[in-house]
Amino acid sequence: MTARSTKFGFDERERFMLFLIAPAGIVLVCFEIIPIMIGMNASFREWSLVNPQRTWVGPKQYIAVFTDPVFLKMVLPNTFVLMILSVGVSLALGLALASLLNRPFFGRAIMRTIILLPLTIAPVITATMMRWSFNDQFGVITIFLSYLGLPDVAWLSDRWPSFALVIMTDIWIWTPWFTIIMLAAMQGLPPEPFEAARIDAATPWCIFRRVTLPMLRPVIIVCVLIRAIDAFRTFDQVWILTGGGPARSTEVFSVYAYVLAFVDLDIGRAAAAAGIGALIMLFVGVGLYRLVNRSMEVSR
Amino acid sequence: MIALALHTLRHAIFAISIAAIFVVFVGPIAILGLTSIRPASGVFYIWRGTNFTFNNFVEVLHQSQVVEAMWNSFVLSTLATILSLGITVGSGYMLSRFGGWIQRSWFTTIYIFRTVPYISWVLPLYLVNTRLGIYDTYIGLLLPHIAVHVCFFSWLMKGFFDGINPSMEYAALIDGCTRWGAFYRVALPAAMPGIAALAILCWLSTWNEFLFALILSGKRTPLITSTMAQFVTETGTEWNLMSATAVLAMMPALLVTIFGQKYVIRGLRM
Repeated sequence: MTARSTKFGFDERERFMLFLIAPAGIVLVCFEIIPIMIGMNASFREWSLVNPQRTWVGPKQYIAVFTDPVFLKMVLPNTFVLMILSVGVSLALGLALASLLNRPFFGRAIMRTIILLPLTIAPVITATMMRWSFNDQFGVITIFLSYLGLPDVAWLSDRWPSFALVIMTDIWIWTPWFTIIMLAAMQGLPPEPFEAARIDAATPWCIFRRVTLPMLRPVIIVCVLIRAIDAFRTFDQVWILTGGGPARSTEVFSVYAYVLAFVDLDIGRAAAAAGIGALIMLFVGVGLYRLVNRSMEVSR
Repeated sequence: MIALALHTLRHAIFAISIAAIFVVFVGPIAILGLTSIRPASGVFYIWRGTNFTFNNFVEVLHQSQVVEAMWNSFVLSTLATILSLGITVGSGYMLSRFGGWIQRSWFTTIYIFRTVPYISWVLPLYLVNTRLGIYDTYIGLLLPHIAVHVCFFSWLMKGFFDGINPSMEYAALIDGCTRWGAFYRVALPAAMPGIAALAILCWLSTWNEFLFALILSGKRTPLITSTMAQFVTETGTEWNLMSATAVLAMMPALLVTIFGQKYVIRGLRM
């Protein structure tokens, strides 16, 4: 027995560990790692519907993406603006909502149920109802806003209003996520520091800033990390609300790669764009992870 | 006197903000629901008039594509949930109970592949699926969903096992139970509430998934999200039918929110 286990280089415990992750590992290799390899291979080729020879062209497609003004001036800024605004505002609103809901009042159970709705409803449906509610002529919210005397906005025909609508939709979807996690975290906090602060006659705002926030910091950091990674690949809301328009001005990274592949039918260039996105996320992801690790050690 | 006024003012502000939150989150859903029960003529000013009808739903359910898409999404979500959880439960258990270089490298792998944007691997996956002839079939849609869930749910599963005291498993091992027995007979039953919570999240996330459906499904195996998207972009003016389809597509979400919210919250807390 011992001879065999040294031959394989794994002892009984390690073999059990490998056995436990084997199915997950196989699926991951076949349906994520191999496609990524194939995509990388395709990104070095001239491969489109009009030219299906798949000739090797080296880094030409990467250069083409990096010199594309749409990519540099629209797609990259849009993607990061969406990421920063969506995560930042949802976090702030989520904390505010969690503080509001973190006290008993009549109807609290109903509010908690309602807050779950944006998380369980498909983003496609959410985007559809936002598109209808903000319809230029008949949208209920558009009409309500002009009834309030606000200037008429053609929500989906100009760059900034459309992009603002995309961001608002994203915030609508993700604020509840922050709220629920923050609420759970707040309810798990020890009561003594709050009692001490109240005895010292601290104002509610002061308690929130100096007691609640520091104690929630580890949870906040992990949430921001997860959300930032996911916000980078936002596709559904943008595709349904604006389709990247008007004039490609609200395209984000996923939409850009999708349009290259399935509208322009340029597989090579799309694969290069997809690869660039994956690389950017690899750096952002690893960087954020390092940051989290460091700050978690500090807070401990 | 002033203190009393301040007290009332604070209560009023609190009540107003709660009401505002209610309106913000329920408003758009209510608008959609109201549109879905208005006849085509009453769609454009939905707050005027009192004609209500369920014909929109009847008409939508007579379209074979919508019914087929809902059935496909249902089957796909159910299969994906069962298989994904079956696969990730072992992976999560390993991440939680063991240490060493294998555990660390598996954790890193999962984290790195979680950061990869979907489009970066679903786009080449489309090429793979067409080449293998599984484009637009259940199997071609199912396996990518499982791959996504491996990265997402191994992490959450680890959290559930972390919350379970391992001393029972140690006791079982000392009593002569195998490692597999300790996992299967002791740890797994204890983790069941957590797994139930994950099952609901997993099912909903497959039902709601759009990018995979858009790229990997077509006419043969339509899914509900891509069918809806087609509706929005192609027949963007029939808002009453659109809304009826959307209301049907959000039924599972509503049911889960009302009846299974305990599980949803448990799953979201990580």
